[in-house]
Amino acid sequence: MKFLKTFFNKINSNLHYLMVLPAIILFSIFFICPLLSVIGLSLTDYNGLTAPNFIGFKNFVDFFSDLRARKDIINTVFFAIGSAPLLNIFGFIYALVLDKNFKAKSIVRAIVYLPAIISPLIMGYIWYFILQPKRGILFIIAKTLNLGIANTNWLGDRYIALLVLVFVNVWQYVGITMIIYLAGLQLIPVEVMEAAKIDGASYFRTLRSIIIPLITPAIKINVITNIIGSLSVFEIIVALTDGGPGYNTESLSIYILRMVHGAFAGYSTAVAVILFFIILPPVVIFLKWIRSKEVEM
Amino acid sequence: MNIIKKIPKYFMILIISFISIIPFYVLLLLALGDPSKKSFLPQWYFKNFVEAWNKSNIGVSIINSFIITTGAIIIIVLFASSAGYTIARFNNKFNLIIFWTLLACMMIPGIINTIPLYVLIRSINGINTHWAMILILATNALPFSVFLYTSFIKSIPKDIEEAAIIDGCTRFTAFWRVIFPLLKPVTAAVVIINGVGIWNNYAQAIFFLQIKSMRTIPLSISMFFQRYGADWNLMAATSIIGIAPILVMFLFFQKFFIEGISVGSIKG
Repeated sequence: MKFLKTFFNKINSNLHYLMVLPAIILFSIFFICPLLSVIGLSLTDYNGLTAPNFIGFKNFVDFFSDLRARKDIINTVFFAIGSAPLLNIFGFIYALVLDKNFKAKSIVRAIVYLPAIISPLIMGYIWYFILQPKRGILFIIAKTLNLGIANTNWLGDRYIALLVLVFVNVWQYVGITMIIYLAGLQLIPVEVMEAAKIDGASYFRTLRSIIIPLITPAIKINVITNIIGSLSVFEIIVALTDGGPGYNTESLSIYILRMVHGAFAGYSTAVAVILFFIILPPVVIFLKWIRSKEVEM
Repeated sequence: MNIIKKIPKYFMILIISFISIIPFYVLLLLALGDPSKKSFLPQWYFKNFVEAWNKSNIGVSIINSFIITTGAIIIIVLFASSAGYTIARFNNKFNLIIFWTLLACMMIPGIINTIPLYVLIRSINGINTHWAMILILATNALPFSVFLYTSFIKSIPKDIEEAAIIDGCTRFTAFWRVIFPLLKPVTAAVVIINGVGIWNNYAQAIFFLQIKSMRTIPLSISMFFQRYGADWNLMAATSIIGIAPILVMFLFFQKFFIEGISVGSIKG
């Protein structure tokens, strides 16, 4: 009995070591295990129903002759490469403007953040309503003003449609990027800024030599989350083009969704693995580069 | 002179707010628009909402979305804050490995492991259930939340909980009684970021919730669009009904939001 009591006492006073366990267990079951089996499944002909057979690297070889999957990867990467810089540039400009003191500051910030809390699906439908050919608001406005853009097929041409998708994405999520930059700007000590002012530094000089180096942590977190977020793009495309015309604007996540019910589950995991290896090098290089630029405050 | 100097600043602020508000204007315009008339001004036609409510089955979806979002948020806040505490306070190898594994997993887009996850959930009979959806979405949110909590807890002086331990608390109770209440700003950030993401989740929902009675709001809206696609007034009214709850939550928590984000994501 005494042994049991000391045992429980020991557990009770060491409970804090176990506090990390629930998170680890949950994460291992629903993230790490599936992730590891992605690598295994990508080497099989798994079709979602019968037991998978090992087929070596056939899926990866097949990928290179698969026009549709290649197009999907190009679209996904194009979307991410287009979105991440634009989100950061506009997010940063917005943050610089809204960091100043003015009346109704918090209201304006909330307004800019507002699009980000709305389902990208709904946002996609709204933009579809604005951009749809022959009936959209933009068409009506352009027509009455007799502008040349009236007849642009915003969603029917592959590259225009991809740019529209990037635009909608940037427009919706610029608020999040802005909030993180705002937080970064608030951490810059006032004395540093004042010292620069006294030394007669111009605004752009201050921007280049003080503000940007001091907000590298914010840049880091923004670029990474923007790239990763954009790579999973799904809802906006579903709402605006549904991958069309043809498979011209399909992204990888839509492809995987359409494949999981088909006979190509094993093959589409191989495509996912390829996507992962495509994004890995730029992310790692970026992280290394920005680490070399980081300044201690 | 002073006023003239301020004009460009206010002009930019005005433009930024205007750009952000356009789609809301379009949405309201449509939701309050009389389907038989076309106009660029709202017509305060509220019948759309009644009709949308009756046709779209969105009442059930709000309940589903509410159960899933609350369940996942509770798990995220409890698991991530306690894991963040252990990682922030005990600097051993095991905790470091966990922290870096979580960070590395943040770099992996969720779609990559969807298919094995689908197989796993099907084998434990989790398709079309609330609990499976809650666990999946909570798991996806864990890395970033643990990261935010860890950085925030590191910025809290250790003396605070040590005082509580001297007064007779164990570390475990000291965390829940003393530290956890101090985490309000970062908890607000975690609740807003993940609450919004889970409320609006579509990519996972469409895989794991396939029957009508389990549909969440985004699923309902997409189904509604496929059936009544041309009826924009009803679409907009349905969307506004779906947006309202999350909007209220955002306005409620947004006061702490910036503070939580700044300390959690950048300072640490």
